[in-house]
Amino acid sequence: MVQTRPAYDTVSVGSLEFWAKTPEEREERFRILRDERPVSWQRPAEGSMLPQEDGAGFWAVTRHADIQTVSKNPKDFCSGQGVMIEDVPPDILEAASSFLAMDAPRHTQLRKLVSAAFTPKQVKRIDEQIKDQARRITDELIEVGDCDFVDQVARKLPMWTIYEMCGLPAERRSDAAHAADGMVSWSDEDVRQGKEPAELLNDSLITLINIGIDLAEDRRAHPRDDLMTNLVQAEVDGVKLTDEDIAAFFVLLSVAGNDTTRNTITRTLEALTRFPDQRKILQADYEGTIGVAIEEFVRWASPVMTFKRVATRDVELQGQQIREGDWVVMYYASGNRDERAFADPYTFDVRRTPNQHVGFGGGGPHFCMGNVLAKTQLRALFDQLLHRVPDLQGGEPVQVVGNFVDGVKSMPCTLNL
Amino acid sequence: MKVCVDYDKCTGLGLCESLAPEFFEVQDDGSLELLQTEGAESQRAELEEAVRACPTEALSLEG
Ligand code: HEM
Ligand code: SF4
Repeated sequence: MVQTRPAYDTVSVGSLEFWAKTPEEREERFRILRDERPVSWQRPAEGSMLPQEDGAGFWAVTRHADIQTVSKNPKDFCSGQGVMIEDVPPDILEAASSFLAMDAPRHTQLRKLVSAAFTPKQVKRIDEQIKDQARRITDELIEVGDCDFVDQVARKLPMWTIYEMCGLPAERRSDAAHAADGMVSWSDEDVRQGKEPAELLNDSLITLINIGIDLAEDRRAHPRDDLMTNLVQAEVDGVKLTDEDIAAFFVLLSVAGNDTTRNTITRTLEALTRFPDQRKILQADYEGTIGVAIEEFVRWASPVMTFKRVATRDVELQGQQIREGDWVVMYYASGNRDERAFADPYTFDVRRTPNQHVGFGGGGPHFCMGNVLAKTQLRALFDQLLHRVPDLQGGEPVQVVGNFVDGVKSMPCTLNL
Repeated sequence: MKVCVDYDKCTGLGLCESLAPEFFEVQDDGSLELLQTEGAESQRAELEEAVRACPTEALSLEG
């Protein structure tokens, strides 16, 4: 039986024009979809490096509860056929995504090797170093004065943390971070500087892979007590990981650990500027409020806007017939403003409880591995900023155009000391 | 009440440990160790929060 597809939804959430809008403008469309067509059939995403193979289109899932349903059900909605809203060449997918784009059992095995370095106990071990680094970054900010907040502050701590954990030599860190940016911002013309999207992605990827392979070789020759050494020594079913496997981990960590946290930091300063009463709550009792507040920082920023799954069989969701092989895209940014899950979703409320946001994913086996680490960084950095530069103000953010991470290229700040 | 872990679902990330460290501890090899299996009534709220926070629905309470 041939089923016909519904017509493409007139409320588009896949075009480049859509992604160029501010989060508030995008939210106007999400709201319509959540209320009227929570699972909608959308035109193929624009601006792709590869046109979607079957050219059909994709399902947009916009409600909080439905995002959780898809996310927690990996048997029906798998990751192994890609997780981005565009088709990425398969060799790139494998070299760049590591276990992000895998399913059980391989996902489970590989993830376990790395996740042991990200547990609360392990993160606590580097807590003091992260605090130290946050203090230094704030020292420098005070020295420099009014500046671009993204470049001077937000980008530094996430980059430092992830490369410190990997033991990357200092002289390669800036190259690595630059390449990590290219991996997520290929659709932005400013970032591309005349390159084609696929070319930028490819160049960035090769840079990161080479750095990852060098690191792996170095640790085989000179083992240390660090994450990379654990990986070269690890075995899965009696087989050691290859340098390519390890390089793919490195790429994944560089991409997942950098601009997600950076954009949360930037959007949080923006929010604390717009909602001064919330800043006062934090300043009055930082230790007592920050634990709950951090969840609101992540909900508010929702730096990862989308992830895709592919249906492994015909399934029904909110009355829509999803077919085997269909793309199903979870819109975390929409789920985090769903009035069914959050009272006053448009209010930045640092005391919001409960706060079951989907900023780190909707649950299930791929739930963000770096969530404890990201929260540790946010806690350390805002402790410094809010106490030492209490009137720090963010200006107008300049956005990256893209369908994956809600990136902020730059945002002026004034210290008012 | 009894604390139960479905080890097939657990991915060892330790969100439960950050909420209820007297019950849960992820080991260096990434496996979760249950430090106590019996929770007192006064610990119910804390345990329920850990159950809710677990991203893979690996935890449950009995009784
Ligand atoms: C505020 C900052 C961050 C946000 C909002 C965030 C968000 C996310 C999201 C939405 C996912 C996908 C979850 C899913 O598919 O269910 C994810 C996965 C992941 N994140 Fe994060 N992340 C952040 C920081 C970090 C950091 C600092 C790291 C560590 C280095 C990291 C490492 C990872 C990894 C490795 C995955 C893939 C997990 C898997 O596929 O099993 N993230 N993150
Ligand atoms: S939160 Fe859930 S998945 Fe994570 S360690 Fe605890 S039981 Fe396992």
